[in-house]
Amino acid sequence: MKEGFRQAMAWLHTWVGLIFGWLLFAIFLTGTLAYFKDEITHWMQPEVQAHPLDDARSLTVAQAYLQQHAPDAARWFITLPNSRDPGLSVMWQDKLDPGKRGNFVQKVVDPVSGEAVLARDSKGGEFFYRFHFQLQMPHPWGRWLSTLAAMVMFVALITGIITHKKIFKDFFTFRPRKGQRSWLDGHNAVGVLVLPFHLMITYSSLVIFMSMVMPAPIMASYGADTRAFFSEMFPATDNAPALGQPAPLQSLVPMYTQARAQWAGGQVGRLAVNNPGDVNASVNIFRAGSDRVAQDFGSMVSFNGATGELLRVGGGQSLPALIGGTFYGLHMGHFATPVLRWLYFICGLAGTAMIGTGLVMWLGKRQLKHARTGVMPYELRLVETLNIASMSGLLIAIGAFFWANRLLPASFAERSDWEVQAFFIAWGLSLLHAALRRGRRGWIEQLSCAALLLGAVPLLNAITTEQHLGVSLARGDWAMAGFDLTCLGSGVFLAWAAWKMRCRMAPQPTAERALGLNLTREAR
Amino acid sequence: MLLALLLCYAGFTALCLSTDRHHGELLRSKPSPQRRLGWRASGWLLLLGSIWPAVAVAGWSQGLVEWCAVLMLSALLLVLLLPYLPRLALSLAGAGLLASPVAAFVTL
Repeated sequence: MKEGFRQAMAWLHTWVGLIFGWLLFAIFLTGTLAYFKDEITHWMQPEVQAHPLDDARSLTVAQAYLQQHAPDAARWFITLPNSRDPGLSVMWQDKLDPGKRGNFVQKVVDPVSGEAVLARDSKGGEFFYRFHFQLQMPHPWGRWLSTLAAMVMFVALITGIITHKKIFKDFFTFRPRKGQRSWLDGHNAVGVLVLPFHLMITYSSLVIFMSMVMPAPIMASYGADTRAFFSEMFPATDNAPALGQPAPLQSLVPMYTQARAQWAGGQVGRLAVNNPGDVNASVNIFRAGSDRVAQDFGSMVSFNGATGELLRVGGGQSLPALIGGTFYGLHMGHFATPVLRWLYFICGLAGTAMIGTGLVMWLGKRQLKHARTGVMPYELRLVETLNIASMSGLLIAIGAFFWANRLLPASFAERSDWEVQAFFIAWGLSLLHAALRRGRRGWIEQLSCAALLLGAVPLLNAITTEQHLGVSLARGDWAMAGFDLTCLGSGVFLAWAAWKMRCRMAPQPTAERALGLNLTREAR
Repeated sequence: MLLALLLCYAGFTALCLSTDRHHGELLRSKPSPQRRLGWRASGWLLLLGSIWPAVAVAGWSQGLVEWCAVLMLSALLLVLLLPYLPRLALSLAGAGLLASPVAAFVTL
């Protein structure tokens, strides 16, 4: 009975892992990159200069800019520069008839000169962030698919713990250079050692989308009026309407100071001004997510924009909201200091590696049966193609995305869309290549290609901008330098992986036979 | 975070030495039952003790998150080092323990 249960779990782990493994690999890798979203954006928009932070100056500059360029907008949004993202970003929404949503316009303003920065049009790190839960699909579908993948991941984790029951006994075991056995060891090691992270990241992703996945509790408490739930959760959406009587907007700086005093010196993340220039203008000042682990969407201070009068202070979460906010905060890691951010990144890579090794093992086990005849059935061939394209192909696509950012001319129409196109074209080509080239050869060629693309990023940056490593390191611009160095490091690692696979390829027949023998011995 | 890292790494190394297989690989001998118990107890004590410096520096919420991160990463580092550079893995733990009073002095 017990053995039967474990076998059933192993079956579920194997097949669920295979079907969703390719998608989960992409979600995990792009999500891991999203931990450095701001740093990637900084690299992809090198025109945005970093200045010493001065919130009052930035705020005055932003207000003056918006007053001049968008006095009649329905809403203004101001995001202050911080140590990770040097850009002062302003956004406004055009005023339209009631019931319609106006277009958003976003600009990056230099916080010293007050001029709009002519930065190249690029999605930057936001692309990876959006992709990891929207999957470049039309609105609800991508979110549903990624949430489904998260549920499957949770199932795979739990069945995995049951299947590989020896993981806690063999906690410190990793035996390299032993073929299939090493893959299993590696899969178990990254699985169990980083298990708290895997469980946290998977469960919290479900918590983040819980109102979409399980709306029943909301409907039960709020009836058909689900808006009431959201305006209670996100009080910033509940603002006074415009009266149509013009009145000048007060300076935002004193409101900023008052808001920070409310939070005992906490940082301001974003400001929203509703109906600027109206007698009923309201200013919502939101606390930065980097202040605390638990995210509190209600943590904001609201002012009347025309009089400067403090209207309300939001925040103070109920226990369930605090738990939900904690999961949200833990998943996003906004609060992480640079060291902790790197640890998050490494954990994310470990998760990616766990999925990747699982996929490789699935195929490796089944390939052994056909090693002697040398003829692989169609379905194994398909899995092999998808393995290559989903792993090394994705790395090539990421490299292509960065290259497109530097090589497309700044004046190119719909430039940021073309960067994304380059990503998917490269990914598609790698799928084609994987279908044409067999097995190890496909791996080696794609890994080498990815190594070349990523390893040459510092060179590319040096040729196309004036922010090469010498400059960025000397100036202490760690986001820029760190990006170059990380790409270089990944390039070297991928080159090493490709070289390793090449070395293994030459004496393949004997190695393969020895591997088969080893495995049969272990199976006994 | 450094002190917590040093303690976690040493703690995991001690736990690793409490198993017959790894004790044999690293120290080329089979541990006596008392030895094994000693390694195990000191390993758990070090791991539990490492919570305190993490929380003392960064507060409970941030500190616990940092401690979890350090816990996972130190184990990952140890397991990756063991097959390739076992001597380094072992001496790192010793050096870490020796350096921990210095780290405590600097950070706390």
